[in-house]
Amino acid sequence: MLKYSATLRPYLTAVRHTLTAAMCLTNFSSQVVERHNKPEVEVRTSKELLLTPVVISRNEKEKVLIEPSINSVRISISVKQSDEIEKILCHKFMRFMMMRAENYVVLRRKPVEGYDISFLITNFHTEQMFKHKLVDFIIYFMEEIDKEISEMKLVANARARICAEEFLKRFSKRKAATIYPSATAVLSVKKLIFVNNL
Amino acid sequence: MILLEINNRIVEETLTLKFKNALAGHKPESTDITIADFDGVLFHISNVGGDKTKVRISISLKFYKDLQEHGADELLKREYGSLLAPVEDGYNVSVQVDLENVPENWEEVVKKIGLLKRNCFASVFEKYFDFQERGEEGHKRAVINYRSDETLYVEAKADRVTVVFSTIFKDDDDIVIGKVFMQEFKEGRRASHTAPQVLFSHREPPFELQNTDARVGENIGYITFVLFPRHTNRAARDNTINLIHMFRDYLHYHIKCSKAYIHSRMRAKTSDFLKVLNRARPEPKNVEKKTIT
Amino acid sequence: MWFGLRNDNGTLSESKFGMADMSTIIMQDNPPTAAFQTMPSLLMSFVDFGNVFSFATLLTPVPYTKLGFAANKEPQFIIPSAIAIKESAKVGDQSTRRLTKGVEDLDFFIGDEAFDATGYAVKYPVRHGLVEDWDLMERFLEQCIFKYLRAEPEDHYFLLTEPPLNTPENREYTAEIMFESFNVPGLYIAVQAVLALAASWASRPVSERTLTGIVVDSGDGVTHVIPVAEGYVIGSCIKHIPIAGRNITYFIQSLLREREFQIPPEQSLETAKAIKERYCYICPDIAKEFAKYDSDASKWIKKYDGINAVTKEPFIVDFSNPDFTTPLSEIVDNVIQNCPIDVRRPLYNNIVLSGGSTMFRDFGRRLQRDIKRTVDARLKISEALSGNRIKPKPIGVQVISHHMQRYAVWFGGSMLASTPEFYEVCHTKAAYEEYGPSICRHNPVFGTMT
Repeated sequence: MLKYSATLRPYLTAVRHTLTAAMCLTNFSSQVVERHNKPEVEVRTSKELLLTPVVISRNEKEKVLIEPSINSVRISISVKQSDEIEKILCHKFMRFMMMRAENYVVLRRKPVEGYDISFLITNFHTEQMFKHKLVDFIIYFMEEIDKEISEMKLVANARARICAEEFLKRFSKRKAATIYPSATAVLSVKKLIFVNNL
Repeated sequence: MILLEINNRIVEETLTLKFKNALAGHKPESTDITIADFDGVLFHISNVGGDKTKVRISISLKFYKDLQEHGADELLKREYGSLLAPVEDGYNVSVQVDLENVPENWEEVVKKIGLLKRNCFASVFEKYFDFQERGEEGHKRAVINYRSDETLYVEAKADRVTVVFSTIFKDDDDIVIGKVFMQEFKEGRRASHTAPQVLFSHREPPFELQNTDARVGENIGYITFVLFPRHTNRAARDNTINLIHMFRDYLHYHIKCSKAYIHSRMRAKTSDFLKVLNRARPEPKNVEKKTIT
Repeated sequence: MWFGLRNDNGTLSESKFGMADMSTIIMQDNPPTAAFQTMPSLLMSFVDFGNVFSFATLLTPVPYTKLGFAANKEPQFIIPSAIAIKESAKVGDQSTRRLTKGVEDLDFFIGDEAFDATGYAVKYPVRHGLVEDWDLMERFLEQCIFKYLRAEPEDHYFLLTEPPLNTPENREYTAEIMFESFNVPGLYIAVQAVLALAASWASRPVSERTLTGIVVDSGDGVTHVIPVAEGYVIGSCIKHIPIAGRNITYFIQSLLREREFQIPPEQSLETAKAIKERYCYICPDIAKEFAKYDSDASKWIKKYDGINAVTKEPFIVDFSNPDFTTPLSEIVDNVIQNCPIDVRRPLYNNIVLSGGSTMFRDFGRRLQRDIKRTVDARLKISEALSGNRIKPKPIGVQVISHHMQRYAVWFGGSMLASTPEFYEVCHTKAAYEEYGPSICRHNPVFGTMT
């Protein structure tokens, strides 16, 4: 556990510094099409506008790809998935978020290949929002997502255990009647009867 | 609601209303209701030959044939006796109530009819519980195709009855969640030592079903319940049947509820993330600044 | 005893805004397979201001959910769209506070049972026909399906209804719940007004089956006038009137209070409701109706000795609301006049009634007469303006009344969901997995070809 957090801190620090540096964006009109202004990291019209992408990785599963360019930066995150259940939870969660990408503004609707989730920050975002807070958000996201997924996994296990035990426990109970209350069925009928009596 | 109910609510409510109306002396109304229940079961509540005072409740089970081999007819005769009516076309069992002579114990009748599906299922279990009680071995294994791709196997030994469910997970994610559940079922005996022993296997049928036509596949799971005499004796068996015949639906219900729970968590977390992101937006500057005058 | 329901001098008018308040879910079975030819469809209907009334919430409009299996004439359950949950006193915002570590989220009640549960807080996941709390909605659905309908959702196609002007995002969220949590094989989200139109087909020849028409839907809380052209709602022309069944019940209740002292207060609402449902009717001319009863009361008035032994004398419903003084017929006429010119004629020709509060005797006849008068007068003016040179083709006005009016939306859904075409227009789980929730933004119109 100690080792775990020992590598997490420098990892996040590295991401933070790289991001802060990559966040130096400027307004840049397209060189190809008149009056277009597109994130260069996405359209890739010209090589000299793109900077060298950086991969920061904590281990082979957890890594961040940062692709800076003149007017936009793309951050792709690969989230830790140590087993099957974490994998589907992560997949579900990322899909869930991307469906709500509109609210997130900086979230990309599709992840870059090989990663679980991608963010696209353009110069317009950095003009309207605080850069350091945007970096904070990415870091917060990376911290929380791991925590949330492992917590979800724990709860899923706990639920399964309760359900299984609850079911098996009933085998030892002698009184079947207590398990299935059906008196409630009569309830809603009562009201109808009244009207008929009028 | 942790456990699913075993009685059919719609059947019970419809009949209760009918009986109460009849007792209050109202004119009966015509009925024609078709509803479904778990495991592809259908109910049809209707009037016989246009006579509004006779209400017939028919049930259809795709696997009734299988159950008949194990004495479903006899069991239903025992349970429903004079309530049984000529079977409606396209259905397997019909019972009928007469609104002109409402029986004294109509509430019991309603309850009983609400349990029609459970009682159809019960026959196969009772038969094998009896085998076990008498210590008869070597009877052929009962095979009930209770859903189109899912099968139930019951086998009696002198000291135990094994019930094997095969179940299909329609969604890939369900396989993973299902495995978590089945693992916990397997370990569930830790909580209660008197509970039946549970085994599970994923993809392939368990040992005793090998060399049968039991299906093999990525999305198939087999769950084996080993029932001991303390579950199959006369005092306990009704309870055991109530539980075990709903097992498949119970499992899938809880898988779905877990997914609903995961959704809630994700909703909470996404709104949390959004809050943090919104901190990056500068507060709208309050242009209108008033001085105290 | 009798009532005159005066709506010529001001019962109904337009509200400034307001969302439609109904949505219906219909669940439908697997397509009939060769092995099982007669599998009936399963139908579940949702969230509706029905005209059933619950005691626990007398003053707030309660949305109702209608659940059932397709091909039945009436829903199997009509329950308040309420859910009773245990609330914890933890800090944090609502959604995180509700998250628990065990299976506490299964501990809740819905419908009528929600009001009977002690120690629980009653919540309404649906407001004004739109889902506000998706967490609770998902749990509400759990019990609808597993406790009330007792159906394995993997086996059934679902038809849900939505109010007009529902957002596409809401459809996506619905699809997400239905396909991901419940693994439904197919889903269709229908607009309520369109289903109400379809319900009127039952009483008409096949050749007249059209999805163009105007739906006058009056339930318990609100009355809507919704124009539909070729299966699509003309959203900009919808009008809402916040006067409906409940107002009539209250009015009768207040009359009862003035005149009948024997009625125990706790029964007065139910009594008023029963009177409304059984004896109210619409008269062609309120003044003449009054005169009729005044001149020879004994001919028209029955003395009634029921079980409750309430003697009832004649009385008259004559209510008006100072804010809403335009008669219903005029509103319908206005709505049609707002619509594109090429659909106006078919709209006049197909005015469909839906909801319990349109069930009064002669409601349709009165409405038809009044609209006809307005339309004829307008044609006359245009004839006069042209100097009598052009004679416009007369416009046919037809108000459709039918037996299924009370649960028209539900019945329409039930009917459409039991056609084979339904399975073709449903969005399937395979398509959902391939393309994502966005496929559910659009639900194709169907049914006119059958």
